[in-house]
Amino acid sequence: MTFNPDINLIAAAMDRIIPPMGDLEGAGGLGLAPEVIERSKTDDRFWLALQTVYASLNAPGNFGMLDGEQQDAALSAIESETPDAFGFWLDVVYTVYYMQPRVHQRLGWHGRTPQPDGNQMPPWNESVLANIRTRAPFWKQV
Amino acid sequence: MHPAMSDQTHDPNRTADVLIIGAGASGGAAAAWLSEAGFDVVCLEQGHWQDAATYPTADADYEFKQMSSWSYNPNVRKLPEDYPVNTSDSPINPVMFNGVGGSTIMWAAHTPRFHPSDFRVKTLDGVADDWPISYQDIEPWYDLNDGIMGCAGIAGDPANPPRSPRPMPPIPIGHDGEMIAAAFERLGWHWWPSDNYVNSVRFGEGRDACNFCGHNLMGCYQRAKSSTDLNYWPRAINHGAELRTGCRVSEITTDSSGRATGARYFDSEGNTQHQSARSVIMASNGVGTPRLLLMSKSDAHPNGLANGSRLVGKNLMFHAFAIVAGVFPEHKEPWVGPLANIIQSQEFYETDPNNDFSRGYTFQMNRGQGPGWTARGGFSDRVPWGKDHHSVMDQRFRNTVGFGIIGDDLPEEHNTVTLDPNLKDSSGLPSPKINYALSDNSRRMMIHAIDKGTEVLKEAGATEVTVDPLMRESGWHLLGTARMGNDPERSVVDANGQSHEVDNLFIIDGSVFVTGAAVNPTPTIQALALRTADYIVNQRQDLKG
Repeated sequence: MTFNPDINLIAAAMDRIIPPMGDLEGAGGLGLAPEVIERSKTDDRFWLALQTVYASLNAPGNFGMLDGEQQDAALSAIESETPDAFGFWLDVVYTVYYMQPRVHQRLGWHGRTPQPDGNQMPPWNESVLANIRTRAPFWKQV
Repeated sequence: MHPAMSDQTHDPNRTADVLIIGAGASGGAAAAWLSEAGFDVVCLEQGHWQDAATYPTADADYEFKQMSSWSYNPNVRKLPEDYPVNTSDSPINPVMFNGVGGSTIMWAAHTPRFHPSDFRVKTLDGVADDWPISYQDIEPWYDLNDGIMGCAGIAGDPANPPRSPRPMPPIPIGHDGEMIAAAFERLGWHWWPSDNYVNSVRFGEGRDACNFCGHNLMGCYQRAKSSTDLNYWPRAINHGAELRTGCRVSEITTDSSGRATGARYFDSEGNTQHQSARSVIMASNGVGTPRLLLMSKSDAHPNGLANGSRLVGKNLMFHAFAIVAGVFPEHKEPWVGPLANIIQSQEFYETDPNNDFSRGYTFQMNRGQGPGWTARGGFSDRVPWGKDHHSVMDQRFRNTVGFGIIGDDLPEEHNTVTLDPNLKDSSGLPSPKINYALSDNSRRMMIHAIDKGTEVLKEAGATEVTVDPLMRESGWHLLGTARMGNDPERSVVDANGQSHEVDNLFIIDGSVFVTGAAVNPTPTIQALALRTADYIVNQRQDLKG
């Protein structure tokens, strides 16, 4: 059966997972729910996890109609009942959120990919060995 | 296409002198040594050549790939060349890479050596067994391998025997490394810059110096991290070795007397082929090698090939591996610099009669990675969701450095690799099943290690310390499942890596380890592979056609 989740419902849950911070929207408000769904499709673990979490979000009681504290309680219940699925879903939500340049800016991180530019380090300084070099060899002779 | 890639044609009339199964750390070393000595070498590798320019660390979604298509867990990665591993009865997942270079594609390239005492644990400490060789026996091969793989480091470490000058100066240890080193010194504990097979300067053909991206577990885009596809394999192919990729071996074949005759395999088109050979070398790691030996039953070898001792697949060792991480009050920028190529401490390496455990452990300093990695757990548990998410993330992301702690995990026969009766790979071959339990000795050792790791991090100024007492995704070191020894009833191969039962079958991967020591094993694996290859060159000319 085709799985077509309600993006607004997932976005509402994502906003409780990673809430707004200052002038930066939460994970749902940033419009990341479609990417979470698309990324989840690439790996069976994540796709099954999304369906499991969504089934609970979409259960009677309508997550979208709850207030913030009630939504947190609902998410905690899902986490408690299906910890593996919830964890995989969290991994996708977290990873997609922390791929966003605005999030990098808030973290005070350069946001570059590791390559091709890499990073700068101070050069090797052999003087740091001055003390440890005074220690006598202590490896066990055999 | 890799410039060194060899032809991949199957000649049914060809009988190779040596058939190597697996093109990783040990297979590459042996192929180069043997082909340079004039042996006709064929290697079958189930994976493929890798192109460093396609490694994902330049991709915007590299952190997603890190937990999916570039996971080092084959059960997660699920590439066609990977085989699934049943880990339901193991607290540790074996992790590996299948391809030319093997797991040296995805390793940290932290390259310490065994200590002399590691070869004599029975004599010294009354535990496990002594090796049939000594540190002195393999020291020249360590040196040779350091030169070919390219070792950055500095001689003079008081925790280890004197060693030859390193081919390159150390990788810079950074301000965070200096901070941790100073803490070790205030406690009066040992530390030393790590030996690493990572270029600190340009070294090797077409290989740059490390640019400190911090993500070398995902393949090195700079080709600064050494892997055998960059050094040993081009040498081997230049001397006539043939490396056939996309070829999955299903059986080592034998004649009626039980001698090895070659291997049956599925080629890259899925067709069944047979490669004849005068000798076979197993280089498929401590899980893949016993799997294949157990799959190679015959009338002459009813328990599996070379398994008269019934020790094939037993005595699996992973290393006990814990993470202790400190959160510091000021920014450490832990994404700057190699992940785990910084400094190490071997203050607690040797057996201390005051402890309640035998043998010891190494502290290997680690840095962090990207924000997604940090949020997903990184060094400890996941950053909590909800109202505390941002504050915890802000504490951890920029301010955390710590240790991986590698404990000497002594062999126990009940830790095994067997053939799973139900799980199959994509070729329909039985998958390996892991049964593993951490020993009481290892548990007591890691309690001590975590306590000492916490002490040094607090000495360095950490305001919070997080602990993962047994990291699940830490089975990089696959050891012990076809151990060497002098007694055919207590070992699978002799001191030269030659099967006790099959005189033209050799094993050169981590399977042959008698004990695991408390260090990353690859330099030792490669030194043993070179030593076995040299034995064949000098003592087994009968294998040459």
